[in-house]
Amino acid sequence: MSKISLKHSGGKVVSLNSPTTEPNENDVAFKLPNADGSDGQAIVTDGSGNLSFGSVAATRNLIINGAMQVAQRGTSSTGNLYQTIDRIRTSSGNLGSINLTQSQQQLASSDTPYSSGFRYFYRAALSGAGTVNANGYIGISQRLEAQDIAQSGWNYTSASSNITLQFWFRCSTNQTFYGILETSNGTPYSYPFAFTASGNNAWTKITKTIPGNSNLQFDLNADRGLKVGFTPWYGTDYTGSKTADAWSPYSGSAEYPDYASTWLTAGASTFDITGVQLEVGSVATDFEHRSFAQELNLCTRYFQKLQPTTVGGANDNPIAVMANFTTTHAYGRIPFFNGIMRTGPSLTTSGCSYYANTNSYTGLTFAVGGQSESSMEVNVTASSGNWVTGHAGWIRGGSFELSAEL
Amino acid sequence: MTQSKLYKLRKNPLTDKISCISRDDGNDRFTIIPINESNTDYQEYLAWVAEGNTAEEAD
Repeated sequence: MSKISLKHSGGKVVSLNSPTTEPNENDVAFKLPNADGSDGQAIVTDGSGNLSFGSVAATRNLIINGAMQVAQRGTSSTGNLYQTIDRIRTSSGNLGSINLTQSQQQLASSDTPYSSGFRYFYRAALSGAGTVNANGYIGISQRLEAQDIAQSGWNYTSASSNITLQFWFRCSTNQTFYGILETSNGTPYSYPFAFTASGNNAWTKITKTIPGNSNLQFDLNADRGLKVGFTPWYGTDYTGSKTADAWSPYSGSAEYPDYASTWLTAGASTFDITGVQLEVGSVATDFEHRSFAQELNLCTRYFQKLQPTTVGGANDNPIAVMANFTTTHAYGRIPFFNGIMRTGPSLTTSGCSYYANTNSYTGLTFAVGGQSESSMEVNVTASSGNWVTGHAGWIRGGSFELSAEL
Repeated sequence: MTQSKLYKLRKNPLTDKISCISRDDGNDRFTIIPINESNTDYQEYLAWVAEGNTAEEAD
């Protein structure tokens, strides 16, 4: 082992030492920056040995809930779109007489990502062999706000500025699959790329570095700007003449090159993902593990579930307090959401009743009056009632769900 | 073929004006959709209308 020694006038030595183990393949060379950086900056690499002073981002991962740990809606569903893991959208259809179950699963300690700090993964599971239909599709994605990409630090109109995606992947029957980056603003562009596991049921870490392109546009608003997608299956209505590893105008009839149907038709196939990270730069850095609370707070910008009280013996389980306006109509307000949501949300009610003047009423009709990104007026109406005007009542049981998903 | 059962217009009882759209999701689940062009549920409703469908009138 060799070293460069710098001897202090007092006699002690500070040294730079070669690594303990030999470099894997080629010689490694580092080129120092030609000027000092600013206060608080660190030396960073561009992945090619060129060092410079730069800021190390406090949050690198543009993907929310990439470790699949938050699942406010539930852990398993045969439904479509947002049903289980927060921020993960599953879209499927025309697969024949089978179901697709999306779920949050726990990793076993023997699973490779476990030792990197992951405990959960997303699974898309087929109930049996699917039918190869031209209009069949299964897509898994996260949609990101345009303003978050615009201000990410990625110089996305430059072909020499990169963004890097990484994820852990496992499937029961291996084949070539495709992922995609797809823009929404201006003329939509997409960048499909192929990926494959190292074998059946083998966790494989996929990394993909994607350059910018002069045609990309991300507006400064909270609408959809970029989709990051992983696709187990697309029929030929959506595939065709499309070049992978290049940006080109988005086409709904040719999102990817044609798909093999090996996975779809193999039987009760599974498609697992975790550790999804999208970051500015050319290097896939270590996954940015966030606490459950941090990740949940990011998720509540898009979805919140207001549940009745379950602690303290509150047998009336109120969700929202209302004021009777007529004998059958009351109104109230959810005064503060749990943080500012992306936009004025939809309200989904399930199993709620209204308690007023010592009686409980079901068969309610809800309506939303005024609303903002942080509060909402809620109206409730019953087909019959004897509510006393000016008295208070409360919504109880069931749940209120607020959704401002992309 | 057009459908009219999935979506229903809803009035704000205080103003008697259409303030939102309800969607019957089944299993006693109802989604109240605000008239808000940035809300993706409302965007889906508009796309549904653009396909020639009509929501049920408000009571």
